[in-house]
Amino acid sequence: MSRPVHAGPGPLASLALMLYPPAWRERYADEVRALLEEAGSGPATAASLAVRAVPAWVNPPRHLHDRGARMRASVATVLVAWSALTGVGAVFVQLTQLQGFRAPGHPLVQWCYLIFDAALAVSVLTAAVGGVPLWLQMVRLARRERRRRELAWLWMAVVVPAGYMAAALTALTVVHDPEASGSWWFAGFAVLGFGAAGLASAGPAVALKRLAPGGPAVALAAAASGVAAATVALAGLASAIAAAGLCLWTTSFAGYHHAGLAWAYLLFVVTIAATATISGGRGVRATFAIPAR
Amino acid sequence: MTNRLDRWADPPLLVLASLADEPKHGYAIIRDVSETMGVRLTAGTLYAVIARLEAVGLIEPLASADRRRPYQITAAGRAALAEQSARMGRVASLAQARLGERYGWAGA
Repeated sequence: MSRPVHAGPGPLASLALMLYPPAWRERYADEVRALLEEAGSGPATAASLAVRAVPAWVNPPRHLHDRGARMRASVATVLVAWSALTGVGAVFVQLTQLQGFRAPGHPLVQWCYLIFDAALAVSVLTAAVGGVPLWLQMVRLARRERRRRELAWLWMAVVVPAGYMAAALTALTVVHDPEASGSWWFAGFAVLGFGAAGLASAGPAVALKRLAPGGPAVALAAAASGVAAATVALAGLASAIAAAGLCLWTTSFAGYHHAGLAWAYLLFVVTIAATATISGGRGVRATFAIPAR
Repeated sequence: MTNRLDRWADPPLLVLASLADEPKHGYAIIRDVSETMGVRLTAGTLYAVIARLEAVGLIEPLASADRRRPYQITAAGRAALAEQSARMGRVASLAQARLGERYGWAGA
């Protein structure tokens, strides 16, 4: 009996396969493509594959579980998300707390400021405790193996923020009253700051992927990244509530800063905080998981 | 109304039953399950099941020259299938006996 021959998995099924975790794809994607070449595929097949990708992420099969890779991926993801949220937090502080915005008769906003400050401080401390030993281990590893590119990526975490601070201080020295020069200065500092934070966090993340270090420092960093993600998510939630409260109750705030911008800020914060929390949680679970057979 | 009794068609059980006689690759499993058990497994369901069964050691992959990797049932898989089949057989026998006694049902 001859088998039906089909051209390939089809674009929808190929897209659906891309939704699976890398380890799953590496192990099964070729087999699934071979199956679809024989059996054919349509929208229903693609939908079935897409739906089954969710449990593959949430509860990955144990034999595909690479604890070390999972922990490193979580540390890298949380580091980038944490940098973005910390940058957003700095902008939030500048636009709200330091401008003295309060909601008369609504202590909620003030409480949110306090929670935000405390959570951000804890997350910075946790990130330092978990990140510095791993960073030092990677620097030693890169030096020992003469990996100059990885060493350069690692030093970006120090050089880029220092360069940004130096540039900002220099600019403030040259322009004595930036507030009088309009909001462009603030927007410029903010955009440059996000760029610097992105580079400073991407550097160690790339080095982490390339050097693939192991040992207790990775486990400590993964556990710390989970705590940092949770606390920074709390800070994000507090800032989101405060921003929403100011939009609702403080007309001068909403009128000055435009409600659309505040909602875009909320969406950004929630997306990044959710990414950090999910990835951090998976890293913590990998840290304390019993190794597979 | 949906017939919820079709829950007997548990995909892991169907895959184990399909592999009970000989190793098969994905497409062969889908065809066998469809032809012998009347259940159409989709690629997404099949590979979710294969991944789970492999993770718990009930099936194992065999070496393959091409991308169509065959799977075979393991000793643990045979034991699990035998146990579940015996349980289902007892339920089937009991149901048939009672239907026969009460309604004179002589079987399908």
